[in-house]
Amino acid sequence: MQRRSAARLGPLLLLLLLPLAWGEGPEPPRADGELQVSNRLAGQAARVALHYLNYRMGSPSALRALGQVRKATVKTIPGIGHKYYLQFITEDYKSSQNVGTCLATVLYLKRKPRPAVNINCTYTKDQKQTREDDYSFYKKMRQQTKPITGNDIPDSYGNIEPALEPAWALAVAGSSYLMWEKSTENLGYFMAQVKNVKQWITKDDSIDFDYLVVLHEIPTQEMISCHLRVIWTPGRPLKVKYFCLSENQRSESGEGSGTESGSTNGIFNEEEANF
Amino acid sequence: PLHLHRNQVLRIFVADEASVEKVKELEELQELQLDFWRGPGSQDVPIDVRVPFASLQAVKVFLESNGIRYSILIDDLQVSALVDEEQTQMISHHFMPRSVETFNYASYHTLDEIYDFMDLLVAENPNLVSKIQIGNSYEGRPLNVLKFSTGGTKRPAIWIDTGIHSREWITQASGVVFAKKIVDNYGKDPSLTSILDNLDIFLEIVTNPDGFAFTHTKNRMWRKTRSISSGSACIGVDPNRNWDAGFGGAGASSNPCSETYRGPYANSESEVKAIVDFVKSHGNIKAFISIHSYTQLLLYPYGYTRTRADDYQELDNIAKAAVAALSSLYGTQYRYGSIITTIYQASGGTIDWTYNQGIKYSFTFELRDTGRYGFLLPANQIIPTAEETWLALMTIMEYTRDHPY
Repeated sequence: MQRRSAARLGPLLLLLLLPLAWGEGPEPPRADGELQVSNRLAGQAARVALHYLNYRMGSPSALRALGQVRKATVKTIPGIGHKYYLQFITEDYKSSQNVGTCLATVLYLKRKPRPAVNINCTYTKDQKQTREDDYSFYKKMRQQTKPITGNDIPDSYGNIEPALEPAWALAVAGSSYLMWEKSTENLGYFMAQVKNVKQWITKDDSIDFDYLVVLHEIPTQEMISCHLRVIWTPGRPLKVKYFCLSENQRSESGEGSGTESGSTNGIFNEEEANF
Repeated sequence: PLHLHRNQVLRIFVADEASVEKVKELEELQELQLDFWRGPGSQDVPIDVRVPFASLQAVKVFLESNGIRYSILIDDLQVSALVDEEQTQMISHHFMPRSVETFNYASYHTLDEIYDFMDLLVAENPNLVSKIQIGNSYEGRPLNVLKFSTGGTKRPAIWIDTGIHSREWITQASGVVFAKKIVDNYGKDPSLTSILDNLDIFLEIVTNPDGFAFTHTKNRMWRKTRSISSGSACIGVDPNRNWDAGFGGAGASSNPCSETYRGPYANSESEVKAIVDFVKSHGNIKAFISIHSYTQLLLYPYGYTRTRADDYQELDNIAKAAVAALSSLYGTQYRYGSIITTIYQASGGTIDWTYNQGIKYSFTFELRDTGRYGFLLPANQIIPTAEETWLALMTIMEYTRDHPY
């Protein structure tokens, strides 16, 4: 069938692409259609959708991680890019409990730097509880007279001091913005560690943190250090500024304020058949 | 306070039930004032006992006349350390060369601790385990492999390595658990027993000791070896891009500063060359399993090409069964497939080379987790991870045993 002939063409196409710099990464799928759920590009796209969701939800207590991919399809839109249609299960970031399923589209554009995401999820966690948890962290931080600081979260042994756990979660939310921005069809990210956190005491009603985070980049395996500034008020969009440096001295910066295009509760214009 | 002057600690090896009973008789004799640090139990576990100077001769005569082998673990306790009761307690729990029974499997260890563990394992199980040095690392550290064998000459063998990427700490920690599991289960678990009655198992726990030492002292996120590249300030080669399979192709970097730097040529790294030489000279390895973390995957060749391996279907079936076995313990979900479709294109990889050498059952694991903690997996997940992974390893080893080629 179509996919098998594409697989035979594979090595030939590979040879044609070899002269390109390694940084290009492995070539994206040549054949449109359904992907195996174990396919790395499907998982990659699902993770991108979740980075976007975690950033837009802006709630450290409601962070989600990828569970299993249930279905994945890819379509080439000529002149535009590749669009992934995904259905996946999500888990609570902290407890790993199943917290709902998502339908998402991820469009990797040839011209714009960041993937366009539409995502719609069910949520089975008690939303009142997460709002309370967020608020209790927020209140505690507002009440600090001395700014909180921390290093190596988690530490080498995987330990996270309970008092610093919400600040770590906020770093994950903030890093999600950055990871969404930097992701491409072939380059993916995980937040590996908070090297450093420092709170700024503010005069307004937000809480404000300076982070040095380390991201793990796939497939290059590089550890990328980024300065992250996260300003947060529960219920309002997360404000994130970042500046990254890698070993090879590529530096990038960006700023997010919750007004970027994409949607998290969207009216889906997609045909069901696409999923 | 106890006087430890010229007290000795003896390690008694009991070969059968009768000997265990004899030592229990000794325990009954109050006047000897024996202090058992590890009392008589089953016949395959050595017994450690502190013997006051006054009782030494009597005890040794008793053991010798009953044909019970022993060695002197500590010659003179007073000299070894310290003086009072509290400190004796400390010695027996901390200072002493621990037995593999008291080693803490639920925590991360240093290189020295793991190498000590290996020596203890061999000392306590001399009929099953031996240690082979297959070479030296770039910085001159020994590359140690444990051999589990019940005899024969160059039996078909299974190779397992952990820690080739030093920051993947869950792998070395799991390797330690696997070693213990093999000695515990031989003679008790029928399947493992039949595996070892027919095949040998080789286990290299710290495959990249230079990198591992560096993760403890300087940079927890160090991945590569620590070799110096001429013409570059950057150090290290990715040992999983340095094998002679698709070497030089896409899926590795030619930049010494990159985390996936392939090296100046295939097998340039002594850590890799040592395994290559071992595999070639052994000539009878039937399964090769290289263990990494993270992202919860079970992978088979190829990584350097989209061409399917000739044994693709069989490998896929084995992987499916192994992943189901793993998942049966705690519900941990793994994906499986060829390297290139499941994780990414990678050239110069270990199992692509071993597969092309004719080692059909070549697999790579990526252990827990899926990204929350990543390389920094909490120590309380060591034992669960190792236990579930062991079930997958058993599936692969059983299959290897049952499908000779």
